[in-house]
Amino acid sequence: MKKISYIICLALGLVSLAACNKQLNTVPTNAVSDDLLFQNVTNLSTLLQGTWSSMMDDFYGDVYSNPGYKTIGLVSDAMGNDVAVIPTKYGFKTTYTFTQMYDKTQYRINAFWGELYKIINNTNIIIAHVDKVDGDAAAKNALKGQALALRANTYLVLASFYQFSYQKDPQAKVVPIYTLPTSDTTVGHSRATLQQVYQLILSDLQQAVTLLQGYQRSAKWLIDQNVAQGLLARAYLNTGQWTQAAQAAVAARQGYPLMSPAEYKTGFNNIDNEEWIWGHPEIPTQNGGSYSFNFLDVTYNQGYYSFMADPHFMELFADGDVRKTLFYWDGDPGLEGYLAYGKIRFGSIPNQTGDLVLMRSSEAYLIEAEGDARANDLNDAVIALNALRDARTAPEYDPTGQTQQNLIDTILVERRKELWGEGFSLSDIIRLQKPVIRKPYTDGAGNPIQVTVTTPDGTTKQVPAKYHTAIRFPDGTPFVANSPYYLFAIPQSEEQNNPNLYK
Amino acid sequence: MLKSLITGILLLCTFVTFPQSPHPIKGIVLAAENHQPLAGATVSLGKSVVQTSTDAQGRFTIETTAAKNVLSVSFVGRETREIDTRTDTLTILLSLSNKMLDEVVAVAYTTVKRSGYPGAVSTVTADKINNRQTGDIGSSLQGLVAGLQTESANGQPGNASTLLIRGSGSINASSSPLFVVNGAPYDGDLNALNPADIASISVLKDATSANLYGSRAANGVILITTRSGKASTTATINATINQGWSNRAVRDYDQVNTDQYFQLYWQALKNKALTNGFTDAQASTIASQNVVSDLAINPYGTQYAEPVGADGKIVAGAHPLWDNNWADAVRQKGKFTQAQLNLSGGSEKSTYYVSGGYLDNQGVYIGSGFKRYNLRANLTLQAKSWLRAGLDVSGASTIQDYPPSSDSRTDNVVLFGRTIPSFYPIYEINPDGTYKLNSQGQKVLDYGDYRPQAALPLMNLVGTVPLDINRIKNENGSIRAFLEATLARGLVFKTSYNTDYINYNDQFYNNPSYGQATSIGGSVSESNTRTLSYTWNNILTWLHDFSKGHHLELLAGHEYYSFTYHQLGGNSQGFVLPGLYEPVASSIIEGFSGYADNYNKLSFFGQAQYNYLSRYYATASIRRDGSSRFAPDSRWGTFWSAGAGWRMASESFLRSVSWLNVLTLKASYGASGNDNLNTYYAYEGLYGIQNNLGNGGVITSRLPTPGLKWESNLNFNTGIDFGIFGNRVSGTLNYYIRTSKDLLYSKPLAASTGFPSVDANIGTLRNKGIELTLNAVPVNTGAFRWDIELNISHNKNEVTSLPQKEIISGTKKLMVGKSIYDFFIRKWAGVDPANGNPLWYVTDSAGKTSTTNVYAQGTQYYVGSSLPTVIGGITNTFRYKTIELSFLFSYSLGGKVLDQDYISMMTGGASPGRSFSKELLDSWTPQHTKTDVPRMTTDDLGWANTSNSSTRFLYSASYGRLKNLTLAWHLPLPATWKQNDYVRDIRVYLTGENLLTFYGHQGMDPEQSVNGTTYFQYPAVRTVSVGAQFSF
Repeated sequence: MKKISYIICLALGLVSLAACNKQLNTVPTNAVSDDLLFQNVTNLSTLLQGTWSSMMDDFYGDVYSNPGYKTIGLVSDAMGNDVAVIPTKYGFKTTYTFTQMYDKTQYRINAFWGELYKIINNTNIIIAHVDKVDGDAAAKNALKGQALALRANTYLVLASFYQFSYQKDPQAKVVPIYTLPTSDTTVGHSRATLQQVYQLILSDLQQAVTLLQGYQRSAKWLIDQNVAQGLLARAYLNTGQWTQAAQAAVAARQGYPLMSPAEYKTGFNNIDNEEWIWGHPEIPTQNGGSYSFNFLDVTYNQGYYSFMADPHFMELFADGDVRKTLFYWDGDPGLEGYLAYGKIRFGSIPNQTGDLVLMRSSEAYLIEAEGDARANDLNDAVIALNALRDARTAPEYDPTGQTQQNLIDTILVERRKELWGEGFSLSDIIRLQKPVIRKPYTDGAGNPIQVTVTTPDGTTKQVPAKYHTAIRFPDGTPFVANSPYYLFAIPQSEEQNNPNLYK
Repeated sequence: MLKSLITGILLLCTFVTFPQSPHPIKGIVLAAENHQPLAGATVSLGKSVVQTSTDAQGRFTIETTAAKNVLSVSFVGRETREIDTRTDTLTILLSLSNKMLDEVVAVAYTTVKRSGYPGAVSTVTADKINNRQTGDIGSSLQGLVAGLQTESANGQPGNASTLLIRGSGSINASSSPLFVVNGAPYDGDLNALNPADIASISVLKDATSANLYGSRAANGVILITTRSGKASTTATINATINQGWSNRAVRDYDQVNTDQYFQLYWQALKNKALTNGFTDAQASTIASQNVVSDLAINPYGTQYAEPVGADGKIVAGAHPLWDNNWADAVRQKGKFTQAQLNLSGGSEKSTYYVSGGYLDNQGVYIGSGFKRYNLRANLTLQAKSWLRAGLDVSGASTIQDYPPSSDSRTDNVVLFGRTIPSFYPIYEINPDGTYKLNSQGQKVLDYGDYRPQAALPLMNLVGTVPLDINRIKNENGSIRAFLEATLARGLVFKTSYNTDYINYNDQFYNNPSYGQATSIGGSVSESNTRTLSYTWNNILTWLHDFSKGHHLELLAGHEYYSFTYHQLGGNSQGFVLPGLYEPVASSIIEGFSGYADNYNKLSFFGQAQYNYLSRYYATASIRRDGSSRFAPDSRWGTFWSAGAGWRMASESFLRSVSWLNVLTLKASYGASGNDNLNTYYAYEGLYGIQNNLGNGGVITSRLPTPGLKWESNLNFNTGIDFGIFGNRVSGTLNYYIRTSKDLLYSKPLAASTGFPSVDANIGTLRNKGIELTLNAVPVNTGAFRWDIELNISHNKNEVTSLPQKEIISGTKKLMVGKSIYDFFIRKWAGVDPANGNPLWYVTDSAGKTSTTNVYAQGTQYYVGSSLPTVIGGITNTFRYKTIELSFLFSYSLGGKVLDQDYISMMTGGASPGRSFSKELLDSWTPQHTKTDVPRMTTDDLGWANTSNSSTRFLYSASYGRLKNLTLAWHLPLPATWKQNDYVRDIRVYLTGENLLTFYGHQGMDPEQSVNGTTYFQYPAVRTVSVGAQFSF
């Protein structure tokens, strides 16, 4: 008996040893390892899909006030002239009062930085491996072209907000550049100059334009040659290369006619809009980015409801302009006297979705007009400007007796009017080296102007109009051009963990 | 190493002895305390069968042939002594045994008698935990065990406490001790255990007692042994029932009233208008015009359209027409109901213990509560003379109603009640202060879509919590089965198979009719998780008592552990009709997902325990573990321990010291490991699933770390056990040094690399500390007895090496010579008297210190630690005949806590509509410049912002808490009841949990997380109960 027991126990021990040792190799089910990813171009392209999804629909820093990539646009508009953020509402109040983005310790600073560089690293992985993996050349070119353009777009965002205008000082240091995938031994890079960053952006985009030659995209979120040209136009505009900017803008808008006045009133939530060159469709199972409508759509009173229009902004529009018909004075309780601008609205409230616009041909017309005007090609500039004005049923610009400067100023005002809520405010203020302009909406005696509102029960009444509540910097000084308050700070955690940052 | 040890032990056993002619040894056995003879004591020669008893004078005679002899002398209720002697006449003094120091305690894979054992083990007996008014075993351990830090950061019924043994030995890897239930690692839910089933809890703190668990022992081990039956003629039946009532243990933060609120907010608006460049008069007007429209309510009625005048005061005649306390509205008086029934008994061949338990622990906030149903059967069977079998089966079903009660989310029921000021009505109200009524004449809940963001628009948890579902259902099954074969005398082979299974089901439903989810037609999210773990171990032990007083126990074993986790869940929205709450009734599927994880571990281990004359003890152990978490090249780790003990009081030179009963020195040292770094795949470069618009997608999630290896923990312990004055005073003093090497850490990276952190082995961490446990019986007259049990411990935590100069993470900075608990934040420099701005200190590169009013420019400094200086508890028990009064007072002295909850009440004008703390009344004005509260304004000045931590909100963490007080009375029963076995005992009691709290910072519950930061948690709960216990 005893002998048998010994044998059994010895045998059990040996069998279990052999069997269990193999069990020590386990693999995750919700992640893949790199060797699988780098097998072929199909597998590698899943990285572009994932990067795009994360970029557009993740809540940056896991907070609802950072609904994906569109948040950067919301911040840009909240810090500009034409959006009067309601100070009692969620998400953008401290952005609007200039106490957030210059503060390196703020959650939003961390969130933007981390997400933007995560996109860069993922595009770097694609760019580093795409030439080596199996697959046909056309698919590889398309993937590489898109990765390059996406990387360029990300650096373009960084260059637009983390330093003053390129036209102020191209040698100013902005952010670190990474073009290779990160490994566990990677140490943080030092900041590159604006010039170095724009060199990379332009070279990436020019390569992308070449690689995307003939590429037919299957959905509008994918970057094709038009999108790459549009990004080039933005980069040229930022760097003051006027003719190239106008040319790239023309190339970008080919095939994307301006929308009709009726369409302009449908809420900017449908990717099938013929004017959208680049955008991101939203679906109920992937609608993080749609959360941005909660702030922008002030016709929907269950959202965060905070991006109101400055009354002075309404006054920029001529009567008859389709865009002006979207304004109304709010009469809801607690919101009486705010000016609502119903331009951007949810597509489906039950689904909480609305497609996200990233590039429209009207922007291309405006870049074309500005580029031509600054390059002193005033005729072409006026044609481009009036093409847009015609589409918006606004009176045409009459160049008779006007200066080049007047034309440029008019185009820049047209940019504000056309692109409100799409994220161009602060980047234009930085680019153009202008101060923020916010003024009280009062009569000669300093009292708020009375406006008529309709309350939910249908009655009308006179209430004081609401206007900007932050009309100076938080330290009490007036708004000036090139103020450090306009720039996004590099987060404190980057300073603490990147020994080379300021070298 | 093991081999040489065994050889050494064997050498010890081979003292050569020469036979002598037979001769008698004579002696007398006396009680140590009074030198009175002990009649009937057993005296044996070595461990042989030669034995005799003492006579009425305590005398004995025993025959021997050896010159040198070992006598073993024992007497009921006294310590057994082994005497090594060459003389033939002896006087032997036997001390009373000390209950605490002589008990048999469970340690890794075996049990030992505490006296002489070199390990550091604390035990908690059943009576301390059985009838506590909390479902959480961790919480009932607080204050009872030296060196055990318990933090019940979230008091929500059904939530478990965080337990730390001897400080945190790790930074990012798990610091949680290993829980072992009836001999096998327990992966079930700790809250699923029924405290009434627990016979004892051993806390293993040092290498000797714990390290046989190898890589799982790094943070100490908590061994839970459940009750078992005892051989008896009839079964024992116990029934307990009790009923209690709960409320908050401490009062919430004080708030300003409506008048004060409106005046303060007026001040904020005026100051912002001044910042905007308006004149003082204009600014006052703007403020008066905007108070009501910003707050979106006028509690003063329409006749006072601008209730705050241009002087900043409430205008004459205006007074609030309503005042609703939201915090009270979301609270409830929780009921605590507990019932237990158990049945036990057995024969020589088998024993059984069967029990059932029921707990209904309602929370003190609406919608929160915890229910538990328990069943357990513990059986043993002597199947053959050489074969024993055992089976413990337990099942528990728990239901936790868990409305969000931690973190800053707006539907956190605790935060919600604190956030909304009392001028926002709970029920819809007319401007004149009368309630709006519906067609049935009932009040209508106000969901406040008009409220500003900080006052949580579209929400009214008073209305939605009862309609919503936040439920976690848990079914726990646990089996412990063994077969034990005695192969030869002293040689035992035991194989055991142990499994824990949890089926975890959660449902979070937001109703479509009211509140946040109305626009999407309601939403529901459900998930199901199955975890199954099993441990199979095979252990061979050999126990042998050699002649001449040498005792040896050898153990060798093998263990395989496997853990699988499988989760499945989805969420959907758009309910067809109200009243439906399962996903089938929703129209839009939002998501569906699931994943699985596997984790396996293979181990081999051995241990030797030796003692000579029950006076000199030595132990050694070794274990080798392979973990699937690491790469094949680094997955195996070797862990070991060695210890020695010396019972000095048994030495002849101390026998004469009559007041000294016990004096034992002990020391141990060993290495254990930790692989628990929040990931099961700690080597691969991984890309997480991130699908895009119906296309498969992935994104970077983890950097490859092929070299990552075990964190190891070197644990040195030395201590002394003592008992004096007839063991009226006894205790244990331990000193330890715990060194953790190759710390597993998520090392922060420059985020511009695309990764926030990388898993790495970094540096060394040392915990040094001292622990004292003291038991005393100050009074014992027979009828009246007073017992004191006291423990006190001190722990110091220090980083002793790092691969780089410093690592900053959150509110802490790692640096050599500093503790992982040291706050590294900005230092508050008060309020600028000139303008009311907040100030922080700045130290420039030249070392010159000044102040700044920009938070971001402030310098971060070390400003104290969250680690308490001393923690512990005192239990006093008074017994008078059949009445017993006992109370447990636990305390934590020293250390600091960063109160982020409080910051959210200090945001003032920056978050209009959120409640204001009373302290804001002290804010700066041009007339009141000497203050610690900056000026009111609607701007975020950077001081009252939860992401901006500074010493402004760092408070002392010291507190004391009357954890438990129990008054019990055994009813006098007719003698015939006992004789006829009707009822043996009836005990009625009154008991309270968390009755009193002594602390410094009003509103903050002092029990917060170990790292010293608060996060809007459910506070501790005070419960008062009455109960009765019946034994049949």
